[in-house]
Amino acid sequence: MSDPAARGTDQPGPAPAEPAASARPPEGVEPRQRLHPLSPALHGAKSLVVVIAGLSWSTLSRVGFGWFALMAVVLALGTTVLAVVSWYYTGYHVVGRELRVYEGLIWRRTRAIPLERLQAVEVVRPLLAQLTGLAELRLEVVGGGKTEAPLAYLSVAEATVLRGRLLALAGRVAAETGTPEPAGVVAGPAGLPTGLPAPPPGRPLHSVRNNDLLVSQLLTPQAFMIPFGVAFVVAQFLSEDSWSFIAVASTLTAMAGVLLQPVRRVLDDWNFRLARDEGTLRIRNGLLETRAQTVPLDRVQTVGVTWPLLWRVKGWLRLRLEVAGYSAGEADERNRPDRLLPVGNQATGEAIVAEVLPGVQLAALPFSPPPTRARWLNPLSRSVLGAGLDVRVFAVRSGLLTRQLTLVPYARIQSVRVVQGPVQRRLRLATVHADTAGGAGAAAQDRDLAEAWALAAELTARAHAARRAG
Amino acid sequence: MSGDGSAGPSPAPPLPPAGPLEPWPDTVRWQSISSDLIWVELIRLAMVLVVLALGLGVGWALSGNGFLGAALGVVLLLGVLRSVTIVRAVRAWGYAEREDDLLVRHGLLVRRLSIVPYSRMQFVDVSAGPLERAFKLATVQLHTAAAASDARVPGLRPAEASRLRDRLTALGEDRAEGL
Repeated sequence: MSDPAARGTDQPGPAPAEPAASARPPEGVEPRQRLHPLSPALHGAKSLVVVIAGLSWSTLSRVGFGWFALMAVVLALGTTVLAVVSWYYTGYHVVGRELRVYEGLIWRRTRAIPLERLQAVEVVRPLLAQLTGLAELRLEVVGGGKTEAPLAYLSVAEATVLRGRLLALAGRVAAETGTPEPAGVVAGPAGLPTGLPAPPPGRPLHSVRNNDLLVSQLLTPQAFMIPFGVAFVVAQFLSEDSWSFIAVASTLTAMAGVLLQPVRRVLDDWNFRLARDEGTLRIRNGLLETRAQTVPLDRVQTVGVTWPLLWRVKGWLRLRLEVAGYSAGEADERNRPDRLLPVGNQATGEAIVAEVLPGVQLAALPFSPPPTRARWLNPLSRSVLGAGLDVRVFAVRSGLLTRQLTLVPYARIQSVRVVQGPVQRRLRLATVHADTAGGAGAAAQDRDLAEAWALAAELTARAHAARRAG
Repeated sequence: MSGDGSAGPSPAPPLPPAGPLEPWPDTVRWQSISSDLIWVELIRLAMVLVVLALGLGVGWALSGNGFLGAALGVVLLLGVLRSVTIVRAVRAWGYAEREDDLLVRHGLLVRRLSIVPYSRMQFVDVSAGPLERAFKLATVQLHTAAAASDARVPGLRPAEASRLRDRLTALGEDRAEGL
């Protein structure tokens, strides 16, 4: 508490009168800003949910409701106090080409986020934040292990202004140093959305009908489980009258756990809208938590197409994309911009793929199957496996029930690997991997050995040529 | 610096490969790693074996449980088998520097070949544990933005390791593209 570094933060509140000019000299040090004063309250409310979930039904049954409520309140109050303290010691400001974020009372941490490495800035509004008119700012930095520095929470106006400033600075840095890298991030600072609920700027590409989304999530294995689960609960309830409220509640909680994924998908992908704004994709989705994501097209590492088994009735598919800078192992997977299309028919999918990867026709990819002796390893799925070299992308197909297709642009290939297991060696087969930053890349399974070498050589050569071409 | 050949080494159309792990025999010159690594690996194995065998042996002596005796036998047998494969596994490691990329191959049971372009390099790691230092060895690892890229060359002499590191760094800076 007596750390001298904390002294500079005496300025109260978020100070809306920040110097708005983004053309400040790099030497000028602006005062440190605080997060919104309501943020500790929001963190506390968030922790209340966690606390209640942690205490669980069994605790409720053991100690009775009064004690349970008291415990929950005490724990939540404790976390709120901690949140207030951490809010007091958290600050951020822009220094030159960096955003500096200070946090921590005991383990003091200062993070300097170089703006030239900024991949994307995202304004996220969880439910509580929507109710209180706040927003969270998330920064994605290339090479960062996880999403850096979620600034939670700022007022919407502040978040939007800061986002615009950061993007403008990132763009200016790129222009100065001449690196073409973060150019995609800029996305025209003038075209920034001022009010978050506004539709995404740029040319709208597609919006998913909420009806289709609901139907698509009903066509999942989890949804098919519901009748069985309900029947189980009802049967138990009728057969034994010793069933208490607690037992039923526990069973229902367990069922909710199973159903969480489809429900979450529906909530997350509600009102899914995709727009194209010069070199970037703008994705907006979410019912409770609205998120607006900006994905520079030249950051797209892979595009995946999935045809789930149950969706074949409708002829639907799902598109997914992997972007560099968002790590795969992140705990909160929902933060990654991975949805390109939550559900859509073949024509829509083809149109969007053609938009993201120009010149790629989903229906006309040149696949070749592995040799017939690969059936020893893939007795059923051999006919589905396939790999093909298109003009701009490496395409790989797999999956008997859930058909999957992965497209990797040659220019995004980081390295090429040939792996041969013991059984493959007997059959003179090998698997060729094309690795990308972020995501698993693409793997052409069980190719003939000579062909695998040729494929590896060709991939290396094409990746090289594509990099040279820019 | 090797000049920027416009087309690179253009890996020749593969002839029927000589060995299962030697594609493009005419364009690639494989370099093997120091056989001292065998000793490093053997000592490492021996240390693990000693700890395991001690634990199991003491347990066996105290409890007289036959299972522990059998487990001790299995552990020792596996140790012997492993030490045989270590020799072959170390001989199977190899790397080659081409004009635009580094090739690394390794593995006996599962054979792996990695082709990593220099221009994709994020950073180079040179490390040497105490055991490796005792045998004057070092490990060079090339990192790219992809976590799956697997370009690790162990068992290099320090001089060779720093030569490789410098060369990789120079080539990487020359052609840096990152992502």
